Amino acid sequence: MTFRAVVFVILSVSIGVAWIIESGAADVFLEATRPDFKRIPLGIAAIENVGGSESPEGRVKLGTRIEEVLKADVRRSQVFALVDLPSLGIKVAQLGAEPDASFKQAAENGVSVIVWGKAGIKNGSKDADLSMDGYVYDTGSNEVVGGKRYVGSTSVVRLMAHRFADELVFRYTGEPGIARTKIAYVSELGTARELFVMDYDGYDPRQLTADGFLNLMPRWSPDRRFLVFTTYRNRNTQDIDMIELATGKRWTLVAQGGLNITPVFSPDGNALAYASSHEGNAELYRLDTRTKAVQRLTTNAAGDLSPSWSPSGREIAFTSDRGGGPQIFLMSADGSNVRRLTFDGDYNAAPAWSPRGNWIAYVCRTSKKEYKLCVITPDGQKHLQLTTGLGVDDSPSWSPDGRHLVFSSTVDGKSQIYMINADGKDLERITFIGTHNSAPSWSPAS
Amino acid sequence: MKTSPASCLPLILGIIVLGIPACSKKSVRSGGDTQALQEEMARGEMAKGGAKEGTSPSFPDTSFSGREDANSLRGLDRNPSEERLGGNAGSQGGAGRANGVIAKADSGAAARQLAEIRAEQVASVAAGLRDVFFAYDSFSISDEGRHALSGNAEWARSNPYAQLKIEGHCDERGTSAYNLVLGEKRAKAVRNYLVELGVVPTHLSVVSYGKERPFCTEHTESCYSQNRRGHLVVKTGK
Repeated sequence: MTFRAVVFVILSVSIGVAWIIESGAADVFLEATRPDFKRIPLGIAAIENVGGSESPEGRVKLGTRIEEVLKADVRRSQVFALVDLPSLGIKVAQLGAEPDASFKQAAENGVSVIVWGKAGIKNGSKDADLSMDGYVYDTGSNEVVGGKRYVGSTSVVRLMAHRFADELVFRYTGEPGIARTKIAYVSELGTARELFVMDYDGYDPRQLTADGFLNLMPRWSPDRRFLVFTTYRNRNTQDIDMIELATGKRWTLVAQGGLNITPVFSPDGNALAYASSHEGNAELYRLDTRTKAVQRLTTNAAGDLSPSWSPSGREIAFTSDRGGGPQIFLMSADGSNVRRLTFDGDYNAAPAWSPRGNWIAYVCRTSKKEYKLCVITPDGQKHLQLTTGLGVDDSPSWSPDGRHLVFSSTVDGKSQIYMINADGKDLERITFIGTHNSAPSWSPAS
Repeated sequence: MKTSPASCLPLILGIIVLGIPACSKKSVRSGGDTQALQEEMARGEMAKGGAKEGTSPSFPDTSFSGREDANSLRGLDRNPSEERLGGNAGSQGGAGRANGVIAKADSGAAARQLAEIRAEQVASVAAGLRDVFFAYDSFSISDEGRHALSGNAEWARSNPYAQLKIEGHCDERGTSAYNLVLGEKRAKAVRNYLVELGVVPTHLSVVSYGKERPFCTEHTESCYSQNRRGHLVVKTGK
């Protein structure tokens, strides 16, 4: 049994049992994945600035910065509803490791969880270490249920908030949260397009390649160590490369001539599905990453591309223009049992199977000839259009919790990257630097 | 959840072992990474000259066991032990440590590519090669396109040592991925017509750039129609 599973079981048993008796919130683990799940009201009292808390950039104190980031993470989590404590008339008098008298008042106002803490440069620390303490008070059990203490350099100030936010989500859902996830994407540098990785909220972009030409459509390995992508070797041939994020090392996985595009790892990392036209037109192939054996999955005069695995790895959604315009098809992972999924409109492409399995997001061309995000259930019974208005939307990619999508859009002119809830709410632009940001891919959670 | 000090010990040790070395070694490693990267790229250059077909003989195991790493959450604790969030090593497996990876930043790769592209452009203009334009969503060659291609074919027949590259381009509408397929269909349509006109197939190569290298970046139809093209280039390098 893995370490996380052990922790989870311990938490589930000890906390769960306590809650059945004390707060009646025992089935919160099940509820959090349901669409009608009611968000848990959570208030953040303050992350107080203590000791030396001037941040290197000097504008905002470190505790205040952590509080800002934490609030944004909590708001995006879709697990919690962020309550503004002062607007309820709740003034927290003193914050230590013990609950404040005002917390009872918050409980009476329906607040379930109160979070507070302090942060500053540790006294006498040689390396100017930032230290953060965070506490969690549960109004149901009327006690401080736990806390965290983080230390690190001031460069990890955002990470402290993200990690604490993920611990909160983990505590109340048993899932790891998405605040520490990353988004890989393509950004324009002059006339070249290079790979970048940023935090899920758009901060801290880092450049990974400097090839001076085109690198396209990165996808994560399930263990988050590698990206696979299409690269143009000497501008004339398309290969599929893999880069190790920690070292920048690169390997060429597929170099067959013709198109070699849309590579994507299977959920277990044992296979890479991709499209290649080296035998004529674009077909789907499966590369076994251990034996290096290649299996052809489709045989069709039309173009087949953009494979996306179901979370079980048993099925693959893909784009095919057999029948004229591109449409979404499904097949078994061995290439058998092909059937068409989308029938509305004459252009449906770029499928992305949700990690929960219940939706497939894709780009749909509307009756007004606009390219927007749509979702459809794998049985084809339900489909919805998520985005509206101007601009070309492209490259939907799910968050590992299945609650969000990230995608590119030209709605503001140049292509930029946006986040949206799986129900189409809370559209948020997350890239602001650079002239062309595209092809986002959301990392798995850790 | 009560935790005895003894049961915390492995956890604390783990944090120390995983966190501290990652920080202290960072400056040393970044130099080593650059070197390793250069070696790797040099190998890549060699490999390219050799085996052309098939897949790479070796790359690391990408199987996912679901194993935990240093970054897994540890849960809230009534008496929280100190968690050190190291450099960027602690932020996430891999991605955070991308810190040291500004892969051959300004290595000259971009400048070299630009110089080669310019040389190709000069040679193509000198040859008087003309582009072929396509309708929205289409890869069939118009009469105007046939006319342009007959001139290009004539040039190709009278320059039998020249290698021509046919680039397929698309406008910005539609998905990046599907436009790569459409771009290839356009480039191949151009190639097939040139072959019909008597150009030796081995003198022609095709590459699709989809919508990734637009000639014009406005969101207007006049711009879109310029971007839907088969662009012919005299190859000057490899």
